[in-house]
Amino acid sequence: MAIIEVKQLSKTYGQGSAAVTALDGVNLAIEKGQFVTVMGPSGCGKSTLLHLIGGLDRPSAGSVFIEDKDISMLPDDKLTELRRRKMGFVFQFFNLIPVLSAEENAALPLILDGVKPEIAHTRAAEWLARNQMGDRLSHRPDQLSGGQQQRVAIARAMVADPLMLLADEPTGNLDSRASDDIAALLRHAVSDWGRTVLMVTHDPRIAAYADRIVFLKDGRVVDDTLLDGGKAENTRMLKEKVDRL
Amino acid sequence: MRIQWLLATRYLRGRLRRSVLTTLAISFGVAILFGMNGLIPPMLEAFRHSMYTSAGQVDPTISSVSNGTFNQSVLNEVSSTAGVEQAAGYLAQTITLPTSLGGSSSNALSGVSSVNLTGIDPAAAQSTHAYSMLSGRFLSAEDTEAVVISQALAANLNLSVGDPLTLPATSGTAMLTIVGIMNVTSPTAVNQVLTPLPTAQSVLGAAGQINSIDVLFTASADRASVQAALAQRLGDTYKFGSVETGSEFTTALSLGSAIMWFFGIAALLMAAFIIFNTFRTLVAERQRDLGMLRAIGAKRSTLEGMILMESLLQGILGTAIGLVLGALLTIGMLRLMSSFIQSYLHASVGGPIFSPGTFVASILIGVGFTVASAYFPARSTLNVSPLEAMRPAVGTTENRRMHNRAWIGLGLIVVAGACLFLNNIGVTTLALLAFLVGLILVAPALVRPVAVVFSSLFGFIFPRENALARENISRQPGRAAITASSLMIGLALTIAIVGMVTSTRFGFMGYLDKSLGSDYIFMPTSLVLGNGNLGADPSLEQKVLQIDGVSEVTAVRLAYSQEDGNNLEVLGIDPTTFPTVSGLEFVHGDPQQSYAALAKGRSIIVNGIFSATYNVNTGDRITLKTPNGDQVYTVVAVAMDYLNAKLATGYISQTYLQKDFNVTNDVLILVNQSKNADKSKVLTALQEQAHNYPAFTLLNSAAFKQSQEQIFSMVMIGLYMMTIILTIPGLIAMANTMSINVIERTREIGMLRAGGATRGQIRRMILAESLMLSILGTLLGVAVGLFLSDFIIKAMVVKGFKLSFYFPTSGILIALVVGILVGVLASLAPARKAARTQIVEALRYE
Repeated sequence: MAIIEVKQLSKTYGQGSAAVTALDGVNLAIEKGQFVTVMGPSGCGKSTLLHLIGGLDRPSAGSVFIEDKDISMLPDDKLTELRRRKMGFVFQFFNLIPVLSAEENAALPLILDGVKPEIAHTRAAEWLARNQMGDRLSHRPDQLSGGQQQRVAIARAMVADPLMLLADEPTGNLDSRASDDIAALLRHAVSDWGRTVLMVTHDPRIAAYADRIVFLKDGRVVDDTLLDGGKAENTRMLKEKVDRL
Repeated sequence: MRIQWLLATRYLRGRLRRSVLTTLAISFGVAILFGMNGLIPPMLEAFRHSMYTSAGQVDPTISSVSNGTFNQSVLNEVSSTAGVEQAAGYLAQTITLPTSLGGSSSNALSGVSSVNLTGIDPAAAQSTHAYSMLSGRFLSAEDTEAVVISQALAANLNLSVGDPLTLPATSGTAMLTIVGIMNVTSPTAVNQVLTPLPTAQSVLGAAGQINSIDVLFTASADRASVQAALAQRLGDTYKFGSVETGSEFTTALSLGSAIMWFFGIAALLMAAFIIFNTFRTLVAERQRDLGMLRAIGAKRSTLEGMILMESLLQGILGTAIGLVLGALLTIGMLRLMSSFIQSYLHASVGGPIFSPGTFVASILIGVGFTVASAYFPARSTLNVSPLEAMRPAVGTTENRRMHNRAWIGLGLIVVAGACLFLNNIGVTTLALLAFLVGLILVAPALVRPVAVVFSSLFGFIFPRENALARENISRQPGRAAITASSLMIGLALTIAIVGMVTSTRFGFMGYLDKSLGSDYIFMPTSLVLGNGNLGADPSLEQKVLQIDGVSEVTAVRLAYSQEDGNNLEVLGIDPTTFPTVSGLEFVHGDPQQSYAALAKGRSIIVNGIFSATYNVNTGDRITLKTPNGDQVYTVVAVAMDYLNAKLATGYISQTYLQKDFNVTNDVLILVNQSKNADKSKVLTALQEQAHNYPAFTLLNSAAFKQSQEQIFSMVMIGLYMMTIILTIPGLIAMANTMSINVIERTREIGMLRAGGATRGQIRRMILAESLMLSILGTLLGVAVGLFLSDFIIKAMVVKGFKLSFYFPTSGILIALVVGILVGVLASLAPARKAARTQIVEALRYE
């Protein structure tokens, strides 16, 4: 069953002669439990696609379906609730609140949803432990490395038990070793925790962790491939595709 | 609510210096508002203590509505009313005790400066009051020049039973014998002197007069009915209540209270600028955090609530600190002022009195201003898109949509300026507001031009840094303008107040020259004519006139009255001699015709403050309450004299003062000597007369004028201090903004240092920026200050003072110096922080 489906999705910025089409009639369906990576050159619309699927922005045309419900026309409050309960976000710049501890950051979605703090903090601590951050609960972001901050961000994304994780260049600010750790963690989220992950990246090495790669160019899907090889093979294949496309 | 609380408290702690500065700004404003308003109630209370009240077993006390004396035959009418068991008549007055008779000097914090002399019928008084004697005996019906004094008075003057007590009298002095010392617990009677009624009448020059009647009803009487019967019998010339003295001061104190509120609100307004700036900046800084919160599911209202919660917490904390600071400020100021109040107004002022209303108002205003100032920045979070979470942090420059607003602002300024020429106070008030709003709208557009002009001036002081400083200031014109506006208010007030005091000084010196321009003055002990000044019977004026070399003498007499429920002093003058020896500064009406009208009948000249406050104008007929019934007077002019300019006053002829108010005693005597007189002989003779009348001090007019000039100078210094204090919020605003600027540009500063800038250059760059900001604030302050200065003078003219606008040169100079000083001081800490930036850490800063 497609948990995410977009139909003829388009997004245009600006008007008249200054208009820029970021997405141009994209059709895409993502099954439950898939790890999908969107790749493409700068300005191809990959982040825009993620924003529209995540309800962070509204399309100019077309529809976005989450569990068969069209979210494109939902009012802001409903979209906000959807993001809070059904989605987890992982950002390139981690986006942790600098004045909160790791545990408090991870508990944020539940606190926002009105869950009692004791329960929220317990679940946050559990997810941080799963992410090997159990001994850093009281640390503030400025006391953590980039990779550690991203682990906290992933725990935050998971704490509300969402259907899907949406990750926008999650390794963009990390070194290669930390990047591999984070990509493996996202893989883990799919394989062991049964989430659906949609990731945007420009790095073929990180994209190779996924089950499926969707290539965008000039706002359109130009390639959609399942990855069934090993990591190394997938990486090599993806690099070739990137060079070709 | 929980998440707002959590985030608000954490963010406040996370930016501690900024939180402290913002909180300080709120505290300062609340401290002034709360503290200054704790000053007025104890002063009012001190005046109430000068009222004559007695702690006895009386029912009502009857006194004249005019608070003056009345014929003691009224006692018979009261006594013969059904239901009245006993009625006792009193004649009481506070008398200043000169130093020559044992009174304390004006600078002394202890001692006796005045006594409450009360004439009683000993037998009747003891039936309505319980007097507890410590030594000696109480007064008896046979006593003549005997007194009973309070134990406090006896202790202070080191007197015992049998000792003489010499008091000033209208005939000079009165020597009385102490027959008893009584135990007095009432704070209003601590310096009480009781004497038989005829003795008091003789001392006070009020033969056959009393000023209150204590009434005791029969046990079975229906009190309300008896009181009603008395009211009907006596008429509306009398009231049921004590004699009130000093009530004419309440207008002045109300004005003082209004001024205190004004200063407090001004300080909070400056704090509002700081808070607005701070919250606007922090919302901009937290765009990514706010976007992230929206992305993970926070509602817009949650973000708005977070900002408002932060402002509420700061408001509560700042207000709490402000209340404590304000209380300390009041205690300190009352201690400083107690000797002044004791000397000039003969009242003892106690500790601060904070009414529940002052508490509530200060809390509501302090917290309210803070939250209101943060409201618009909080509302702006509603527009934060979740996409902000995706964007990298970069230093922001402002969108320059300010030009439209600047044009509107310029329009308002031009219209406001034109309105100045209309000379209408209502229009000028609106014009002032329009000018202020216009300036605030124009200010962002002025930032760059001011920066360009002054960077060329600073070019030789900061040759390598001024260009960067200029661009740094110009990139955030809105923030720069708001910061400068906070400084502007403090400096504008400084200039306006200096202008007001300068104009007032020249105006009042003009009144002084006119009204106290004689060669010599027999001045009462208190400058406020009514306050404890006994005066002298007419024989003193006659004796002075008979001195060889004295060419002219005129005297002033005093009574109290009410007109349409409003208290006023009524001065009796001789319409013939007064204009030649003294005179009034006329605002409306012809002097010659006015004095002639006074001589002919019931005409009255009112002073400006009475005319303006109660809307009484030339030609109006007013009804004055007198001990002899209501009397109608015609207003023939509006004019003022120096000593009474601040109190509601009317001038009538001495003939009618005697006829209607029963007053014949002189409280002020002005003397001119002839041109060819032997000055030393005249002075000796005058001094001899003054010696016999210790209630007066003989003054040389030139020396008196100089002493008044000195008082004005002291007041000016006090006001300078006050207004300099008002620039403190401006300093906080500048420090706050410079601190924000430095934090925002951490990476940039790191880059400059990496590129070879020295620590000194970084410091100088920050200093140059700070100076540019402060110069902008100073220029704005001068503009508003001049406008405000003109406005205040116009308002005082409307209030009845004859004043002209004097250009506040000294005020502007002070503003310039203070502005530059603020610029330097505000830069110190941020410049130091910027210069100490660790390059590598700075380059990694997010």
